[in-house]
Amino acid sequence: MSEALTIDRRVRRLPPGRVAIIAGAAIMAIVAAAAILAPLVAPHDPYAQSMLARFRPMSAEYWLGTDQFGRDTFSRILYGLQITLWTAFASTALAMLCGTSIGILSGYYGGRVDRWLSAANDLLMSFPQMVAGIIIVALLGPGITNLIIAIAITAFPAFYRMARSAALALRERDYIDACRVLGYSDMRIISRHLLPETLDDIIIVATLWLATAVRTESSLAFIGLGAPPPAATLGGLVREGFDNLLDYPGLAIWPSLAILVVMIGLNLMGDGLRDANDPRASA
Amino acid sequence: MLLKVEELRVSFSVRTGWPFPETHELRAVDGVSFDVREGESFGIVGESGCGKSTVARAILRLVDSKSGRVVFSGIDITSIPARHLRRLRPRLQMIFQDPAASLSPRMRIGDALAEAIRVHAIASGPDIDALVRNALAEVGLPPESANRFPHEFSGGQKQRIGIARALVLSPSVIIADEPVSALDVSVQAQILNLMARLKKERNIAFVFISHDLGVVRHFCERTAVMYLGQIIETGSTRNLFDAPKHPYTRLLRSVSPVPDPEKPAHLDVEEGEPPSPLNPPSGCRFHPRCRFVTDICRSETPDLRPVGAGFVACHHAEALPPAES
Repeated sequence: MSEALTIDRRVRRLPPGRVAIIAGAAIMAIVAAAAILAPLVAPHDPYAQSMLARFRPMSAEYWLGTDQFGRDTFSRILYGLQITLWTAFASTALAMLCGTSIGILSGYYGGRVDRWLSAANDLLMSFPQMVAGIIIVALLGPGITNLIIAIAITAFPAFYRMARSAALALRERDYIDACRVLGYSDMRIISRHLLPETLDDIIIVATLWLATAVRTESSLAFIGLGAPPPAATLGGLVREGFDNLLDYPGLAIWPSLAILVVMIGLNLMGDGLRDANDPRASA
Repeated sequence: MLLKVEELRVSFSVRTGWPFPETHELRAVDGVSFDVREGESFGIVGESGCGKSTVARAILRLVDSKSGRVVFSGIDITSIPARHLRRLRPRLQMIFQDPAASLSPRMRIGDALAEAIRVHAIASGPDIDALVRNALAEVGLPPESANRFPHEFSGGQKQRIGIARALVLSPSVIIADEPVSALDVSVQAQILNLMARLKKERNIAFVFISHDLGVVRHFCERTAVMYLGQIIETGSTRNLFDAPKHPYTRLLRSVSPVPDPEKPAHLDVEEGEPPSPLNPPSGCRFHPRCRFVTDICRSETPDLRPVGAGFVACHHAEALPPAES
């Protein structure tokens, strides 16, 4: 009997998704540290141009070489990470805040407002991310704030839908009825009894959408709708490097690799969290 | 009269049919009236789908009623604004069928009880703790339970917690919707005894909803039998069980186990399932399953009228042969 128990315990000690979460979190910790500490870590000023140092190859002084204006690629990637991560984080947080609260209210109260909101949401969802992003940026005009708003709008439907369906399912549960019988106000029921139940799922979605936001930002920057130059963003760097791709491929490849690393880190974390939270996976 | 339900009606719209769905009105509760006195327990029995749970939910305004009134200590609670209703809520509490589902899964028991106390400003500061501990003790749970989460308790314990949560609000009526049907038989008795004690010591009235006649017989002074959204017989529990008048009451009683092993099991079984409440039968709703059916049953709906000591909705209540027991 004790043997069976120990085996059982040992299996349980490795919850699903644990490895992925740790690996993803480690990658993101390093990336985030590099971005935040960019002013201390970067060997050069990312905006300092030098006509004498154009298109330098990799060297001890310029780790990843320089671009056509003589700016240090490595430093620009670090500062690019800063803007890219901030944009992704801010837009996802904005989408999460708006999408979750409107979604929960919509699902909890139902009725006509819910139907209209859902229809509008479906409409927004039917646009491919990029197309929606392009339209919104084109409407709002360039700039980091507008970029954040645009990406937030493209991410909004995922959170709205998630929160709405959770509220829809939970409001039928007995304990929500119990809260009503106990005389709790709707706001109390939503904030103290509904929201905590949905938070797990929402945080997982947020992690995965952070990755999508990075990609959307990069893609928009690549087609010239990102943060206006000379600001360094990862997508912007790829675009700048693209002009000289055949002669100096490193200028586009290094920032692309940086995007890749960020994506892998975020997706590992998101997938791991999702697996860890999925009861079917641990069964 | 503490709680008076008058001609309560609840309907749901159901859309069926393909490819052109039609909206039908499902009359889940169709003109139900009864009253409950202080400290009394009133049973509602019937098959699943007969609308007994909907009656409970409509009384508590968890579903909207279409017409009729629910008068609780003189106040018509079907028409007052939600804000006023919230202030009355503490006195009108509910116990749920599934005790596991009726507790917020991420809240410690103590916090869940304290929240109810705080919302209604029943106590403040350290008094809250004392009240919580008292309530837990009253339902037979140790004070340490306050620091635990719902999933750490057994079904019976969870039902005790549900009762404690109602008790901290000092209710005068508790509506118990199948409070023991999700529990083991041995635990059922404990919970029933607990409720019987509360009824006696705190003079709490119960509306006890169940499909289990044995349980109702044990607990309730008066009982109503529901069939397809209507009360078809009501009266004192003893009378209802000893001398059931309505053929459906007889059917129910005959299929519930007789506690006397000497008695031969007598099955008065009529064939069939209850018809759909979407399309109830004409006349008496029970007529397709009734052994004593005549023409008048198919055409005219019988009213609930006094027969003997109780009320029966059957055209032939007096004429039927006495029930065998």
